[in-house]
Amino acid sequence: MFVLAMRSIRQRPGRFLATLLAAFLGAAIIMTFNSLHDTAAQHGIDSVSAETLSTSASVVGGYGTLLVFFAVASTLTVNVRQRSRELETLRGSGATPAQRRRMVVGEAVAVALLGAILAVGPAMLGGRALLGVFQDNGQVARSVDYSFGPYALQSGLGITLLASAGAAFLAVRRATRQRQQRGRARTFLAYGTLVAGVVSVTATFGFSSTDAALMAAPAYGAILLSVGLALLAPRLLKLLLDPLELAGASGWLAVRNLRERADQVAGILMSLILFTAVSTATLYMQAVESDTVKASGLTKSVDAKNLETLNFTVVGVIVVFVCVMLVNSLYAATTYRAREFGGQRLAGATPGQVLRTVGTETAILTITGVLSGTVAALAGIIPFTMVRTDSVLPHQGLGIWLAVVAVAATVTLGTSLLTARRVLRTPAVEAVGLAA
Amino acid sequence: MFRTARRTHDKGPAAEALRLVKVSRTYGHDDSAVTALDGVTLSLERGTFTAVMGPSGSGKSTLLQCAAGLDRPDSGIVMVDGAELTGGSEAELTRFRRGRIGFVFQQYNLLDTLTVAQNTVLPLKLAGRRVDRERAREVLSAVGLGDRLGHRPDQLSGGQRQRVAIARALVTEPRVIFADEPTGALDTRSARDVLLLLREAVRVHGRTVVMVTHDPVAASYADSVVFLADGRLAGRMHAPTVDAVAERLAHLGDDVTVGV
Repeated sequence: MFVLAMRSIRQRPGRFLATLLAAFLGAAIIMTFNSLHDTAAQHGIDSVSAETLSTSASVVGGYGTLLVFFAVASTLTVNVRQRSRELETLRGSGATPAQRRRMVVGEAVAVALLGAILAVGPAMLGGRALLGVFQDNGQVARSVDYSFGPYALQSGLGITLLASAGAAFLAVRRATRQRQQRGRARTFLAYGTLVAGVVSVTATFGFSSTDAALMAAPAYGAILLSVGLALLAPRLLKLLLDPLELAGASGWLAVRNLRERADQVAGILMSLILFTAVSTATLYMQAVESDTVKASGLTKSVDAKNLETLNFTVVGVIVVFVCVMLVNSLYAATTYRAREFGGQRLAGATPGQVLRTVGTETAILTITGVLSGTVAALAGIIPFTMVRTDSVLPHQGLGIWLAVVAVAATVTLGTSLLTARRVLRTPAVEAVGLAA
Repeated sequence: MFRTARRTHDKGPAAEALRLVKVSRTYGHDDSAVTALDGVTLSLERGTFTAVMGPSGSGKSTLLQCAAGLDRPDSGIVMVDGAELTGGSEAELTRFRRGRIGFVFQQYNLLDTLTVAQNTVLPLKLAGRRVDRERAREVLSAVGLGDRLGHRPDQLSGGQRQRVAIARALVTEPRVIFADEPTGALDTRSARDVLLLLREAVRVHGRTVVMVTHDPVAASYADSVVFLADGRLAGRMHAPTVDAVAERLAHLGDDVTVGV
């Protein structure tokens, strides 16, 4: 099976590009931040610098692990779903479920290894740049030299490989299982996360307004809530679609397509919800914090500066990562629909109508994702603002939120429309025949 | 049954449903160029059922695609129901096809996300025409699927899917229905049902049906058979029987060699 896995990668490298990209980016982020651990572990480093470096490495490293798992899982799920025919052929040729699992997991691990090795160089550059930022801010002493060592390498390779293998295992198990009996565990997890999120957000009120750790509770609460909502994404979408009737053939078709594909677009919705929630919550809370400190006339402590740098880094990492994932999964999902588009065109749809259908579907997805993400973010922002200041809502206005929404809408609409337009270049008859 | 009284498109009834004049189509460039159609001239009257036959690579699928506005010929004229199909964007060709042309394909081409009833009215929706659900139900009942309106294509057998495709082709009341190997993926009984429905569309409802097939049995349901070999017309047979068609097909290569 391993030989088959290697051959299948060699024959169709393009198909693994998405997984490779996810593994590469994930490994790069993990190694960039974990190399700070290596840097901190060097001899003769003062304790303030060491603490700054270790804290950043731990916080973002943890995020990174989650992201890699999530990203690789979503690309692999798409990958495995699109190969159901091939897996079915293998089944027909006498491959046991365990053999098929080994093949897919083997492919994923091989691709992840390649991605992680490719990521070493960029991670070194990124880590060096990050250290420079800390030094410029005065958070780390100038004398500290950058070091990329065993910690970065081990964690980068280990986490990426483990996450890929785990994600591949789950994806193929879902695909090869005869009856789909998902749901209960997922629902339980979703509600559990939501409850934990509410608890965490409520805990904000237990802190005093000058507590250094004040931001932690609402921030984690918002993230937990967004994860919970993301897990419930297909159901949220169905809830929204049930009463929805749009005018015109494209709108009509878009609503019906999404109703049927609600489970398949779950990954895209998840990315959107997490993206909106994490970036909105973090940016608003940081803005409230900074403005409050400025208003009080105090200067920021090293800890506060660390937190600010970290916040912006986390948002930056997540924005880049989720954007790449969104582009990735939307591109894969749209390309996969060539045959469906061909069918629509042969039924009398003009290319414009197909594009409008895709656009409407994407717009509905974006709105659902952004709204859910905003709810989760507000659940964190409001308690934080109430405790930190005298008001309920931040005074920063809608600017940040609008920017977040604009990024989300540009990425989703841009990717799916451009991909669809490319797909439409194939003549309809050919497109229909391709997968037939 | 189908209502023939409703004739929204019978403005100027052209005697010829389909007319091809010296239609040629070449694929590829220079050295590797393949001439799929080589100056085919053909005229089909309204209300006829014609089978197009020929060996693999004879150009029969290209003929159908050019005649149906799915592909553009390099030269020659295609006229559907008296209107010339001129080159243009895909959107223009699509608008030309709506209401004039219906399709039935070997692979059914139904949308999996839509129910049987929704698939049937899809062409009307896309064309911005009024959707008469009652009529869609009548058409589906007529093809024997009156009790399957809410089913999805993947819940149907091949024969049932093809009957949905026929209902979808009929509901817009097109002048010409093009069928590309409509029975190619069906068992004999389902194939017979489909062929009888196509014949009924011609006899009872006055549609014109052009069917590409390699199966002499399928061709025997047509009023006449047009034979194609190496991109050229290689004869025509009226009131075809299975044996006569098979015989003719077996010697098609000989005829062409003699002709050259």
